[in-house]
Amino acid sequence: MSSRLLLLLVAPALLAQSDARLTLDAHLRAGRLDEAERAARTAGAPLAVALGDVLVLRGRLGEADSVLRAAIVARSPESRTARVTLAELAMRRGDRAIAEREASNLLAEYQRDNARWSARDNLAAGRAFLVFSAADANAVRSALRAFDRGADLDSSLYEAALRASDLLLEKYNGPDAKQGYDGVLQRNRGNPWAQLGLARVMEFDGKGDAMAKANEALEVNPSLTAAHLFVARLHLEAERDDSAQVSARRALAVDPSAVEAWAVIGAVAWARGDSAAYRDARARAGRLAPRSATFYVMLADAAARQRRYADAERFSAEGLALDSLSVAALGALGTNRLRGGEMAAGRAMIERAFALDPFNLWHKNTLDLLDELAKFRTVPMGRFEFVAPVREADVLLPYLSPLLEEAYEKLAARYEYRPPTPVRLEIYDRHADFSVRTVGLTGLGALGVSFGRVLAIDAPSSRTPGTFNWGSTSWHELAHTFTLGLSGNRVPRWFSEGVSVLEERRARAGWGAELNAPYLTALREGFMRPVSALNDGFVRPRNSAEVLFSYYHASLVCEMIEAEFGAPALPAMLRAWGDGLETAAVFHRVLKLDEKTMDRRFEAWITRRFRGVTAPDTVASDAALEPLIHEVSAREGAKDDAGLVTALEKLIWVWPYDPETHVKLADASTRLGQHGRAVRERRAVIALGPSDRLAARVHLARALLAAGDRTAARREVLDVLESAPTFEGAQMLLLEIRRTTPPGGGP
Amino acid sequence: MGTAPVAGAGVKRALLLACAVTTSATPLAAQRTHALIITGLGGEANYSIAFADQGATLHTAARTLWRVADSSLIWLAEDPSRDPDRIAGRATREAVSGAFLTLSGRVAPGDVVVVVLIGHGSGERVQSRVNLPGADPVAADFAGWISGFAKQTVVFVVAASGSGDFVDVLKGPNRVVITATKSSFERNESLFGRHFVRGLSTVEADADKDGRLTVLESFGYATREVARVYTEEQKLLTEHAVVSDSVLAARTVYAAAVASADPRVVALVAERKAIEDELTALRARKAAMPAPEYDRELERLLVAIAEKTQAINALGGGRP
Repeated sequence: MSSRLLLLLVAPALLAQSDARLTLDAHLRAGRLDEAERAARTAGAPLAVALGDVLVLRGRLGEADSVLRAAIVARSPESRTARVTLAELAMRRGDRAIAEREASNLLAEYQRDNARWSARDNLAAGRAFLVFSAADANAVRSALRAFDRGADLDSSLYEAALRASDLLLEKYNGPDAKQGYDGVLQRNRGNPWAQLGLARVMEFDGKGDAMAKANEALEVNPSLTAAHLFVARLHLEAERDDSAQVSARRALAVDPSAVEAWAVIGAVAWARGDSAAYRDARARAGRLAPRSATFYVMLADAAARQRRYADAERFSAEGLALDSLSVAALGALGTNRLRGGEMAAGRAMIERAFALDPFNLWHKNTLDLLDELAKFRTVPMGRFEFVAPVREADVLLPYLSPLLEEAYEKLAARYEYRPPTPVRLEIYDRHADFSVRTVGLTGLGALGVSFGRVLAIDAPSSRTPGTFNWGSTSWHELAHTFTLGLSGNRVPRWFSEGVSVLEERRARAGWGAELNAPYLTALREGFMRPVSALNDGFVRPRNSAEVLFSYYHASLVCEMIEAEFGAPALPAMLRAWGDGLETAAVFHRVLKLDEKTMDRRFEAWITRRFRGVTAPDTVASDAALEPLIHEVSAREGAKDDAGLVTALEKLIWVWPYDPETHVKLADASTRLGQHGRAVRERRAVIALGPSDRLAARVHLARALLAAGDRTAARREVLDVLESAPTFEGAQMLLLEIRRTTPPGGGP
Repeated sequence: MGTAPVAGAGVKRALLLACAVTTSATPLAAQRTHALIITGLGGEANYSIAFADQGATLHTAARTLWRVADSSLIWLAEDPSRDPDRIAGRATREAVSGAFLTLSGRVAPGDVVVVVLIGHGSGERVQSRVNLPGADPVAADFAGWISGFAKQTVVFVVAASGSGDFVDVLKGPNRVVITATKSSFERNESLFGRHFVRGLSTVEADADKDGRLTVLESFGYATREVARVYTEEQKLLTEHAVVSDSVLAARTVYAAAVASADPRVVALVAERKAIEDELTALRARKAAMPAPEYDRELERLLVAIAEKTQAINALGGGRP
């Protein structure tokens, strides 16, 4: 038979097969899964593997398994795709050994000779490599090469380019991933998978409206389970629990086997304390993927978002118990242990995770940070354990330790609760390190964070002078330790922030947020949310100003509660949350009113409070440097030492690194006979590495002597003279110390 | 002891020193210090002011701290009208040349000649220069002018950007050359001069607090302070000062100690010196001694030294 005749006989069959594939692809793109399934079944053997894929999309995994195995037995031309899909199904169930065996067999063939492998076969090989990506970084590179080859062989096989882009994004290469998705969209306008990819890139970059882009994908393909799950997760992260559940249910309507959807539903149920619904979701997820960590990892994320770090740690551990190679579970467990101050145990987990997936940026950043932390000095002082770079420790701790001890005592008295000690406070002289410690990535805007018993703040040196008050920030974060501890980490964000800002204001005059005109305008124009919705001001702000307004607004709610219901109301509410009550129930139990009534009462209270009040357009923050410098000058000019001391103390809480400030405070303190403070200030000068260190030490020795610490004064001056024996100032002080030492008062 | 023509207090001090040498075994300083300060063109008002301020500070330090005689202290500047009482003239090439000639007639062997050149630097190797009014003298010119000070120690400081090449052109026996930068390519605005001058005018730079500021101490102070500024401003250090002969720099002081002619003081100073030697020996044994014993001995010696100082001061023999 001539080749021409063969072509004439085969061509119609090939054309029919090609038409069927095109029809199937069109149904899949539009999310018409019923029609897609019908088309695949109608086409029979040529699209048997495609039918298996459709069944996977619909969550009929058992059927899919049978169809795919039959296709393999029938030697379908796409049997390699069938084999890798079976491997992926095994992975979804958590049957890692089976998955690896299937994938391994396929890859053995691929690596032996792949010269004649089709575009789809290369795609299958790439997917097979990914089965091993959790434990083999090279597998990721091999997968990428296989996807690229598939795309080169058939440019209409968009899945190859999309899978490559997904992989790039998964490995934190946002720009290249975006380029891939854009490329697909240029050739195939509206491609829903590419649109979903772009939505993920937007989320990754923190730029653009990821939710809107994902919804664009869903408009094209309403059956895109991954998009529903993506939207559900975004809702969950923004604490829009109802919307998260709706999206998760939509995902399940398409694919009842979507474990992530049950994880979202489980997370919402857990957060609401709906134990029956939680147990149901957990059981369903367990049946679908008995050895997968996915459900628990999502639970851990949700718990951590709600600052319930101990629960997050527990969930991570449960996930890890199911799948010891789950990078996500290892990372979550490590991160949450670190948040709890278990540094060695946390590091061990992150190291294991990073060994499995060296592309993970979060884990790499965290390990780099832990290396940096190892160079810090750990200083136990009273109820606190400070961890800071050496210079920062020397400069800051003499101020911070007494401040936080004072804060602890006052807060303990007010809230009738004493958090376990030591409380660990980490101080970072590079904001990027603080950011990594807090969220795993650089770029966080916050200045301090409280994980409960572990606090972290920026050192003032990491910020522009005049933008950060490290005293009020530390006080604020410690207040969270009380509200989190007393409520078993169940206090809502708005209340915890409200208490912290209120406590800042109480701590020192001028600290904490104050009334200003923009807030007052927002209040009077009805922009501010009612108490019952105040949490949205933090987790779903309508603009950047709303978060700032919400801090102040929340502190006023707390003030109002104290004013109208008595001071014990605040700790009573925290305890009520700790008992597992929802906010409405907390209001009911402690304030004896429902949320709507509370909304009305607060509105009436705040209206009364600010009736006829005007506020300045801008209020100097407690970190503003200029007013403090002017105040210092004015007090100096007036020779008002007491006022000067107060002004300098305030200045130090904003910028503690100017030796001149400390010298002035030391001198003024000495003139006032406040020798203890003078000693502290002289030590601060030395900590700052003065130009004339020996002279600074003699000043310290003199202050010590005046403060009555003759032994320390003598030690200091002897040390100075040991290195500079001809230093006349030190010599005279040594003689003075001896002259004034009572008999038997020292060597 | 030289017999160079000096005037006023300088003559009296020289005579006193000569007497002391004949009556005591304690070596007395013969050094006199001469200073030439040259402040160059600012180009902008802020630089002109800064250079003039540094010149004025140096002038004061030379007079009061180094006890330089008026006749051995010459300040040439961009604009003499800024401080006509102290600025000897405009810092032209001719004036600079004349100043060296004047000083050459005043120096004696063993004296120290301090030349401080402040301004904006440019050029390379022998053509390195600091911008002055009119035609700039170049490094080769300065090399020629200082060649006549072979029997003196010359401390030549170029506190200017891009000044590093001055070192190779000027260095030689009995010379300490200090430049603000290590090469002619470090051309950014230099902070060295500001801190170097500050170090000369305060006690901060006297690292061992012996009351005698060495050239090396002042160099070390300035380089530390420059580095501190760059660190605090989180900038990469773009200027690296150079000293040509650190051994000589460590031996050379801006102002020699003035010894008392009172034999009681001379004796006390000698006794104190003996105790200081004991202290040096003690410190060498520190690692081998039990800490309490070392501390006891340390304090005993330090108290003894302090008491000697107190006694010297009581006799009016302390530092001026």
